[in-house]
This record gives sequence, C-alpha cells and structure tokens, in this order.
Amino acid sequence: MRSIWIISKREFKSYFSTPVGYVVLGTFALISGLGFSYSFIYYSFTTETPAMYDLPAVPNLEEFFLSEYMVYCGLMMMFIGPLITMRLLAEERNQGTIEMLLTHPLRDRDIIFGKYFASLGMLLLMMLTAGVNLGVVYYFVDVEVAVLLFGLLAFFLMGAAFLSMGLFVSSMCQSQITAATITFAVYFVFFMLGYLAGDAPETLPLPPDWPAQVQSLLTSGYDVSLSMMKNVSIDAHARQMAQGIFQPADVAYYLLFIVFFIFLTFRSLEMRKWRS
Amino acid sequence: MIEVQELTKTYGSFQAVQGISFGLEQGEIVGFLGPNGAGKTTTMRILTGYHPATQGSARIAGFDVQTHPLDVKKRVGYLPESVPLYLEMVVSSYLNYVAEIKNITRSKRKSAVADVMERCGLTHMQSRVIHNLSKGYRQRVGLAQALLGNPPVLILDEPTVGLDPKQIVGIRQMIKDLAKDHTVLLSTHILPEVSMICDRVLILHQGRIVAKNRIDALSNTRTVTLHLSGAAETIRGILDQPAEVSGVTVAGQQYTVSYTPEARLDIVNPALVRALVQAGVDVQRVEQKSRTLEEVFIDAISSSDAEVSHA
Repeated sequence: MRSIWIISKREFKSYFSTPVGYVVLGTFALISGLGFSYSFIYYSFTTETPAMYDLPAVPNLEEFFLSEYMVYCGLMMMFIGPLITMRLLAEERNQGTIEMLLTHPLRDRDIIFGKYFASLGMLLLMMLTAGVNLGVVYYFVDVEVAVLLFGLLAFFLMGAAFLSMGLFVSSMCQSQITAATITFAVYFVFFMLGYLAGDAPETLPLPPDWPAQVQSLLTSGYDVSLSMMKNVSIDAHARQMAQGIFQPADVAYYLLFIVFFIFLTFRSLEMRKWRS
Repeated sequence: MIEVQELTKTYGSFQAVQGISFGLEQGEIVGFLGPNGAGKTTTMRILTGYHPATQGSARIAGFDVQTHPLDVKKRVGYLPESVPLYLEMVVSSYLNYVAEIKNITRSKRKSAVADVMERCGLTHMQSRVIHNLSKGYRQRVGLAQALLGNPPVLILDEPTVGLDPKQIVGIRQMIKDLAKDHTVLLSTHILPEVSMICDRVLILHQGRIVAKNRIDALSNTRTVTLHLSGAAETIRGILDQPAEVSGVTVAGQQYTVSYTPEARLDIVNPALVRALVQAGVDVQRVEQKSRTLEEVFIDAISSSDAEVSHA
C-alpha cells in the first residue's frame, strides 16, 4: 500500500511540475464553465416561456439542466482524459524509467494502482471545479443536495472509467501521442455506440419470404447486439444517475468497466514476461 | 553471491544469450566485456529481474531471480544502460523518491540521500532540475540511484559512459572502494578500465562467454624474448633443451622462446637464464610481454568466430 502511495504522489506532483496539469485543469474549467453558463441561461429562458421552446410546461431542473450538465462534464473527459492518461506508462517506457520501477522492490500492482490513483487525483480536482458550478446552483435554486452529489458521482464514475481505459492504452504504447490518439479513438467508439443504437431501427427489417428460422435467428441476434450497444455506451448509465436516480446496475457498469481495463493493464505489464 | 547457470534468452528466433554460466564471489568486481550486441545488457536485465530468462537459472544472494524477484530486487543496485531519470524532477527529490521506493525508513532517508550525493559529487547540484544537467551529471545521478540503500550487489551497465576523465578516475576509485563490502558486476567497452578496476573479466561474444579468467592470467603470454650476445649455436643448444620450450624464433640477437601451455614460467625462465649465463652467454635483456586487453579481446572473439565457422 505504501508503495502505491509513493508512486501515486510522484505521478500526481509531476502533473504540476510540467504544464500538463495546469493546461488540463484550465481547459476543463474554461469549457465546463462556458457550458454551465450557456445551459443555465438557456434553462432560465425556458422557465419563463416554455411554449416558445416547444415545451408543454416548465421543464424539470434535474432532468433538463443538471443531468445534461454532468453528462456534458463526463463527456469532456473524452477529450481531456487522453491528456491525463497518455503519459502514465508510455512516458516511463519512453524515458526508460520503467526499467527502474521494474527492477526495484515493487509489485506490478504498486505501479498500476499508483498511476491510476494519480490520474483519479486529477479527476477529483476537475470535480472540484465542476463542484463550484454546482455550488452556485445550490445557492440560487432550491434543489436537493443528494441530486448534486449524485451528479458528481456520475461524473466521477464516467471519468474514472475513461481513465482506466486510457491507462491501459498508455501501457501498450511508447509514444504519448500514439497513446492519446488511440485512447481518444476508443473513447469515441464507446460513445458513438449509444447513438448508433439509438438511430438504428427497433426491429431488423428482413425480406418476408425468408425462412422463419433464419428470420428469428437474425432478429434475436440483432436485438441482443442492439441492447448491448445501448448499454455499453459510456454515457447512457450516467444520465439517470445525474438526475438523482440511483440504480445499482449503473454503478456496476462503471465499476466493471474499470476492473476490466485495470485487469488488461496488469496483463499488458506482464507481457514483458511472455516475450521470450 | 551471483550464480548463473546455463542462462539462455531468445527474442523470437534471435538468441541473445546462449547458455552462459558464471559466478561471482562476495567482494569481487567482475567486468563484462564484449562488442555491441554481445548480450551484456540482456544478461544484466535478467539478473535484475527486468527480463525473464528463456532457460536456465540465476541466483543472487541465494534467491532465484524468477521465483523470488522481490528478495533479489531488495539486494541489487542497478544502473541501466539508459539512465532512468525523471527529467522534470530536481536531483534531491528524485533520489528521495528512489529512497522511498527502496523502503528506506523516513529517519534514515535524508542521510542516505545526502550520503550518495556526497559520494557521487552531486551535493552542489542537488537543487537542479535533472533536465538541465549534462550527460556526465545525469550518469552520476543514475549511479547515486543504484548506490542508495547500500545494496550488497551492484550491477552497473557502463557506469563511466559520458563522464569526463577526472570523473572517470573518481568513479573507478569509488567502485574499487565499494568492492570491500559489495559484489560488483559491471559492463564496459573500455578495456583499460577493466584491467584497472576488475578482478576478473568475462568476455561475451554473440551470447556466449568466450573467455573468463583473471585479468593477469588472460594478459600473460607464453613467450619470452631474450636479447643475447654469444655464439649462436651454443644459445640454440641451450634454448632448445628444456621440454617446456615449444619453439624458438631468431631475429638477429633476439630470441623469442615460446613455452608449452603447461610450463610454469616462474620456474622455467630463471632456469633458462641461469643455463645461458653458465654457458658464458651475455644476457642483455629478458622481456616477457603481456598482451594488452585489446589483444586478448580480439583473440577471444576471433577464435570464437573461427569455431563458429568451422562448425
């Protein structure tokens, strides 16, 4: 445990001994702040005259504004996450410092969790920035604290999921640029899956003269993959949580996502032992 | 302290190390010598647990490198070929970080870091960012990192690369001093360095050990050149007599005597000179040339190349 902390501490500090930490936090503060202001102003207009915005009644704050904002923050991790994770292990490989880590009395888990927790540290700082915005809402609007906390939790889980995947990609790469690019590509695929599934027809259109067995086989296959695409999409599970609706399945999705990619990172570090 | 048996490492179809065996006693300094790509770094990486061996075993301080990696790593100070530095860190905080990883307790950490900085001549550079240091200083930081925590075994991959002559002398002296209570395995291209620092040398070539011996044994030749004045026939008669002499070549007054491999030069040489003097031959000069390490090295490598091409 102590070694995890040592590695984590150094990694976290090094975000701020290079410009990366400041750039990441500054960019996040700017973009999330702009998004917050814009959507808050938009929401306040809709509450004045809902009809002008084709809304039947005054829209619900949690559903219309808060949830959207938190998911927006989480999706920003798609762009910022690669910047946080790209260096984690790729940099060690590139500088040869991985040789130092692996020849000192450390276990793989010290290195991997140390790195991951350092990136979570950055996420916590980002949550703090978003938390300031939520504080403003809490001050002016009568909203339950639990809703705001769930919103932050949704953001945290989404971010932590993105970061675990970034850590894995970084462990496979030597160049930070490659790591960042691949990480972004994978994020984007996970993000787009939900939209693709949303736009796809509910049932598979098949020619009626095909045999019934083929029809049922293809239809059931289509249904399974459609619901898989919907559920594997990285923002789908955050939306409800950000409205203050807690479902264990949503939390479980992110936890499993994280466990899976941390597991892959372990295997990736172990790969040096197989290459013989 | 270090025992290596039949160690083999293959990368795909390339055999980097082919069944090498050697051992280091406590307190020995052994030099790894070999051309680029001979397998020096690979062997060191296996010993430090960075790479697993394909076959064979390596033990350090009684612990197997593959089955007890943590026990081995606690006892080894390793300076890799490319010095592992976090360029954005300050020298003292980098060393402090390494000390933390090495599990040096908080109370001893400060003095341990100060001590290695002192020994490597880094004290006046301790608050500099590593990125701004010259290659020589970076090398010293790397060395300091390996020495931290006083590990009983030191594995140094080209420790004097990039240092200026004065620093090289300093570092060599330091390594010699370390040998009193450490076991040191170092690799280098610099041949004189090996003869200066090391007790023994292992010459590696294409993944095999082509020579392993004490430096003096390797550099000794089996020939003696005598500068003599006297009757040539008398001299030939005396020189050809002992059974240990395998051949004599004459160039003017220079007689070069080759001995058989079994001959003990410290006995045969004086006997030969005594016989010459008794026969009334004037012995002007006796030269026993020792081969330079370069010659040893090139001989060892070319003889192994010859073996390979015969096979």
